[in-house]
Amino acid sequence: MSAAVQYVQFVLAPQMLVGLVLGVAVILVALGLTIIFGLLDVINMAHGEFYALGAFIALALSTVGLPFWLLLVLVPLLMLPIGYVVERGLIQRVFHTGERHVTTLLLTFGLGLVLEDSYRLVFGPNPHRPDMPLTGGVDLFGVFLPTYRLFLILIGAAIIAAVAFIVYRTRLGAMVRAAAFDRNMAASLGVPVQHVYAGAFAFGIALAGLAGVLLAPLYSVFPTMGRDFILMAFTVVIVGGMGSIGGAVVAGLALTQVQAIVSLYISPVWSDPVVFGIMVAMLMVRPQGLFGRLGHG
Amino acid sequence: MADSLTRAKQASHVLTAVLVVAGLIYAAVGAAMGDIFYLRLATEALIFGGLALSVDILLGYTGLLSLGQALYFGLGAYLSALVLMVVPSFWAAMAATAAASALLGLIGGIIANRVRGVYFALITFGMAQVAAKVVYNLRELGASDGLVGVPIVRINLGVFSISSGTPAAFFLFVLTFIVVLYAISAYLLDTPFGRLLIAVRANERRVPFLGYRTVTARLTAFVLAAMIAALSGALYPMLRGFVSPELLFFSTSGNAVITVVTGGTGTLVGALYGSVLLTVLRSIIGSYTEHHVIVIGLLFMGAVIFLPRGLMGVVRPAVERGLGKETGP
Repeated sequence: MSAAVQYVQFVLAPQMLVGLVLGVAVILVALGLTIIFGLLDVINMAHGEFYALGAFIALALSTVGLPFWLLLVLVPLLMLPIGYVVERGLIQRVFHTGERHVTTLLLTFGLGLVLEDSYRLVFGPNPHRPDMPLTGGVDLFGVFLPTYRLFLILIGAAIIAAVAFIVYRTRLGAMVRAAAFDRNMAASLGVPVQHVYAGAFAFGIALAGLAGVLLAPLYSVFPTMGRDFILMAFTVVIVGGMGSIGGAVVAGLALTQVQAIVSLYISPVWSDPVVFGIMVAMLMVRPQGLFGRLGHG
Repeated sequence: MADSLTRAKQASHVLTAVLVVAGLIYAAVGAAMGDIFYLRLATEALIFGGLALSVDILLGYTGLLSLGQALYFGLGAYLSALVLMVVPSFWAAMAATAAASALLGLIGGIIANRVRGVYFALITFGMAQVAAKVVYNLRELGASDGLVGVPIVRINLGVFSISSGTPAAFFLFVLTFIVVLYAISAYLLDTPFGRLLIAVRANERRVPFLGYRTVTARLTAFVLAAMIAALSGALYPMLRGFVSPELLFFSTSGNAVITVVTGGTGTLVGALYGSVLLTVLRSIIGSYTEHHVIVIGLLFMGAVIFLPRGLMGVVRPAVERGLGKETGP
């Protein structure tokens, strides 16, 4: 009996908590991705590089002496104009071509390559590890959890709730959902569709940047940091349903738990094939994902 | 009476002939100067050109963007390496690759063709990721190190034989091989089957009303692309003597897409020119800075925005006009 309790306390529960922290982290990145897809129909292949951009801006500003807590607010605000300009300057240029899905995907793919190599040029290829803003740990029913990870889970939950509130409960969110549902109808009812598109893209980018700042102390900052992470975020968005915020949350939590359990019982190296296998199976059986799209209920 | 598609095809053939002539001169100069490095580099460019060709069959003709063509390229490379390490026979390696890629292309095609558009891109991407991670973790396939020590192979061509260890001869062989792959693709896409693919790309919903099955057409295109990618990949271990899991990674698929878009989507020959162009650019820029990806990436973005038909979109119409003058109105 006590052996079973100890197993849960020292093996299973910590593993699941690590999975939970990763889950919250992935959801933060996936939220921006799913909003951009749900509204603009754009697969943002550069999303991982915008996540890295947030981390690098924070890194650069922290060397000037700005504290972490200020950066947490400042970096997303700095990302907003960047996202707005990228949408108006690049994505809008190919948005009206016939094969919009393909061209926007290719364009953001190229942008991601350029950004990633730029980080290598400016910051070098080696990882930088910012100081933990919170040290120490807490005892959670006998399971040790570092304070910063607890903070991450809590602020992550708050951010997800705030995003869901903005999208589903405010006038601004209603305009976004209206534009996603029927662009022309929304435009004729006075919704400034062009600005809504650019604004939503900027909002998604800002969320990625915020995730970058939050996760930098845990996962380090390096040029290819977005690449590994974005695969997981894509999987979450696909399984959850492209454009669904609730879907991203459910899929994010479930898939990272699957990953944690597979790592524990099979081998950590097999967690990726299993998760990607789930993604392929989901695309085969139910390509629209678990939940509906943004603006479609 | 030649219609625009036929004339475009003829222009592609002329451009391929130009490429072959350039290749012959290159091989002669390279052999005369006793060069190894640049001949090997050009051979590699052609092999990756074959991969890009397979992407173009899907993207340019059927309108399906594959982000996982490295799956079949890597399949060919690994299978060819495995066969060559047991029996050093070129034709055995090619036969095994053709059979395996036809089968796995059919399976992959059945999976991927369940979905359209952006979901097709994501499902091919996902399948390649699964395969890449599995190969990366399988100790039997050398895990992260890949397979090393693939022997030099003598390619028996009946009257004479070519060693993969002779740079100039192997370059000429690969040039021939890739041009044959191009010719087969161009021929198949010029049959009614090819016109059907173009129709699927233009308006998939309408095609069934004209009495054709779109599923079969899409599946055939997928299998054809898988086989071309795998047969190109099978040449890789003969050139380099090893295979590594990087061949299956997304960067390989991504580079093939960049090659096609820069070279000219839907022209077939654009894939080969794109591969040569990008290899030249990489080595020129690479001699100045290690950050050649920035330049290639910007070039690619520029092509997507300003030149949706790529390099061939500029060059080929000029060739077509030249052809038109020759044959008269």
